[in-house]
Amino acid sequence: MSAVVSPIRDPLIEGSKTYHQITEDICAPTERTPSVAWIIAFIIAASGLAFYVFCVGWTIWKGIGSWNLNRTIGWGWDITNFVWWVGIGHAGTLISAILLLFRQKWRTGVNRAAEAMTIFAVICAGQFPLIHMGRLWLGFFIFPYPNTRGPLWVNFNSPLLWDVFAISTYFTVSLLFWYTGLVPDFATVRDRAKGFRRKVYNFLSFGWTGSAKHWQRWESLSLVLAGLATPLVLSVHTIVSFDFATSVIPGWHTTIFPPYFVAGAIFSGFAMVQTLMVMTRKVFNLEQYITLEHIESMNKVILLTGTIVGVAYLTELFIAWYSGYIYEQFAFANRVLGPYWWSYVGMMSCNVLSPQIFWWKKFRRSIFITFFMSIFVNIGMWFERFVIIATTLARDYLPTSWSYYVPTWVEIGLFIGTLGLFFTCYLIFARVAPVVAIAEVKAILKAAGDQYIGPKARQKHAAEKTEVH
Amino acid sequence: MDQLNFTGKHKTVLIGFMILGLVCMGLTFAFDDELHTRFWSNYLHNSVFFTGIAFISVFVLAAFITALAGWHVIFKRVWEAYAQFLLVGLGLMLLVIIGIWGHFHHLYHWADKEAVAADPILSGKSSFLNPVWYTLGTILILGTWAFFAWKLRQLSLDEDKNGTADFDHHRRMRIWAAAFLPIAGFTSAAMVWQWVMSVDAHWYSTLFAWYTTASWFLSAVSLTILTLVFLKSQGYLEKVTFDHLHDLGKYMFAFSIFWTYLWFSQYMLIWYGNVGEETVYYRHRLDHYPVLFYGNLLLNFVAPFFILMRNDNKRKYGTLVFTSVIVFFGHWWDFFQMIKPGVRITAMEALAHHASGHGEHAEHATEAAHHAVDFAMGFSIPGLLEIGTMLGFLALFLYFVLNRMSKVPFTAKNDPYWEETTHHVVEIHDVEQVLGHH
Repeated sequence: MSAVVSPIRDPLIEGSKTYHQITEDICAPTERTPSVAWIIAFIIAASGLAFYVFCVGWTIWKGIGSWNLNRTIGWGWDITNFVWWVGIGHAGTLISAILLLFRQKWRTGVNRAAEAMTIFAVICAGQFPLIHMGRLWLGFFIFPYPNTRGPLWVNFNSPLLWDVFAISTYFTVSLLFWYTGLVPDFATVRDRAKGFRRKVYNFLSFGWTGSAKHWQRWESLSLVLAGLATPLVLSVHTIVSFDFATSVIPGWHTTIFPPYFVAGAIFSGFAMVQTLMVMTRKVFNLEQYITLEHIESMNKVILLTGTIVGVAYLTELFIAWYSGYIYEQFAFANRVLGPYWWSYVGMMSCNVLSPQIFWWKKFRRSIFITFFMSIFVNIGMWFERFVIIATTLARDYLPTSWSYYVPTWVEIGLFIGTLGLFFTCYLIFARVAPVVAIAEVKAILKAAGDQYIGPKARQKHAAEKTEVH
Repeated sequence: MDQLNFTGKHKTVLIGFMILGLVCMGLTFAFDDELHTRFWSNYLHNSVFFTGIAFISVFVLAAFITALAGWHVIFKRVWEAYAQFLLVGLGLMLLVIIGIWGHFHHLYHWADKEAVAADPILSGKSSFLNPVWYTLGTILILGTWAFFAWKLRQLSLDEDKNGTADFDHHRRMRIWAAAFLPIAGFTSAAMVWQWVMSVDAHWYSTLFAWYTTASWFLSAVSLTILTLVFLKSQGYLEKVTFDHLHDLGKYMFAFSIFWTYLWFSQYMLIWYGNVGEETVYYRHRLDHYPVLFYGNLLLNFVAPFFILMRNDNKRKYGTLVFTSVIVFFGHWWDFFQMIKPGVRITAMEALAHHASGHGEHAEHATEAAHHAVDFAMGFSIPGLLEIGTMLGFLALFLYFVLNRMSKVPFTAKNDPYWEETTHHVVEIHDVEQVLGHH
């Protein structure tokens, strides 16, 4: 690690922390009884989860007929939610893998929680392809294995099958990556724990001792997993985009989909990380580890990816006109001006226009604005998927089959329910595991702690100099 | 040696190559078909290619400044100089524009009024694909890029002289750099559509602009590595270490994969969708230009992927130079395969029309033109004349760039990241490798 740090860089760890203080601060939330706020949040989230289970039960008992899908609009909220959740599940691995490869030190403050978020988001995403099959008990049909079903064999030419592989691979690698990072931190918690808790954390940390050999293997494994995860970040949403783009549906079949879906996924993932971080740092008093500097960096990523997505939207519109292909032209005219115009407006204003306020430093560093923007982006990205899926399907080649779709309470309930599932997982995670990577923050202390770099450090240094003279 | 001494010897060599380029272009022109298709397509190909390298240089500078990157500062003068070539690029593209207005060439099907009138697809696009937009777009957009390139360099040079402890210059550069990014994002796509994609005037792909920009990016990175190694061999930039080259090597590796990803996304989706309007682009290349088609993948994916996969290969001069040459040539080749087949079809149709007059015969002639795409040197593969022309353009680029570079010191002494960049170390996790090198 380069020890020389530019005087222009701001510190990433504030409060002149010592190594011991870092341990104390980050372990603390796992060691005290839950606060009232946590309990209330948990009750709400768990109720959402319960409602989810109920809606899934309803769907299976009553059948897919309890949804408002029809012959024209075969995919509605189900696949919209799926793509939305998968997209959110991108930021974690981007932060942990790609930013690791780019040696971005600010990743250490947020990578742990972002990776956890990734895993929970992918779990939520994985629900929908299963539920939307209707006959959930036949879900195992998607796995290619020797069977007696004759021609009912998986279709290797279908991107839907590639999706199964891509997402399960991504989930596995993300889980390994996350857990690998947790091992030394679980050991830290164990060393402070007593009794049964100590036994549990000892088990979780695989008996980590912190020997040089452990660290060396841990470093190698992290790097290998980062190398594996990087192409996976790209591949998952690329393949999700193939679900649409390999078809010949105007509005779906367009070559820009793969990179544009990936950019959109990172965009929505960062928005969800912001939503969680803004709350987590406040509730757990971690403002000195998840600093305004982190918030600002993530807001820059949101601005960047939001604008990339904007370039892609306009490219699509332009090329639709340019193609001279009337169905393509119609599909986009319908997107903007058709019966679902409001969802296009929602998408454009939340995803492209509103993030532009992050050109101003003042807004990038405002917690209030950041929180609202992160919700905005989450809404906008949901609309984007809805625009792509439902709006496109609603007006197909045959005007007699044109349709309009409104979800039933079951479909809405499933979506809200997955939010419950997500937050239940996250709240449990935040109680049992260090939400900031202790070992990794310690590793950058001397290069990014405010007693070593930044204005405070310079003042101190100057004061010491004058004392000597 | 903080300032490049652009000496007589180097100038002579570069001027020699420029003369070679001119001779090659003259020969191409002399022995060309009556529309001078080979000459003009070579001219467009190289103009777009080298202008794009200059564009990417200012784009990368702006992106790095915005991303608070520090490691590249030690050689940022190289990119600042590259970016100034945009003005020359504007001059080069002006000649293409003059050619459109004067009907000196047949590069673009849409520039032929009769053809557009007879073709509903082309007339549908004619409010974008027309000489006025091509001219205005090129001048305005290239002018804007050149302005930002000048502004960023000017601030950077002024920082050397008048830089202050509060890094005010750098702050101003941040504003200009950030402003350039969205401008570059939107305008580069428009330029790629007009300059390159409209060569196949019927065809369209939403991904095309990003694909082309990735190709430019790799050309710029590989040329940067070659320039740095050259400058080091002359005793300049001593503080540029293997660590800086390693990072550039990583960029070349990662973006070669990214380029392949975009290539695959575009190809696979078009192949899978199997829509005739789209597949014609690849069908034509697969049937008549297999060397270009597969060569593209060999040069730009297989070679850099396998060579640069190992860490230590990014830290060896020989290997890095070798790969940079392949990648640089490979992306020149990529632009060749983007431009040549389309221009050739346009020219063949025009020639067939000339030969057979109008009406029924012309229709047949067009049909025939599509089927009779024989091997032709300078189209099916780059010939010696193309290589000579490319070397001429490269010499022009280097002459201009080195000349710019020689006017200013390499050291950006007041840059806030100067200490970081001169102490830049790439973390290598492989213990044996670290031991082996130190």
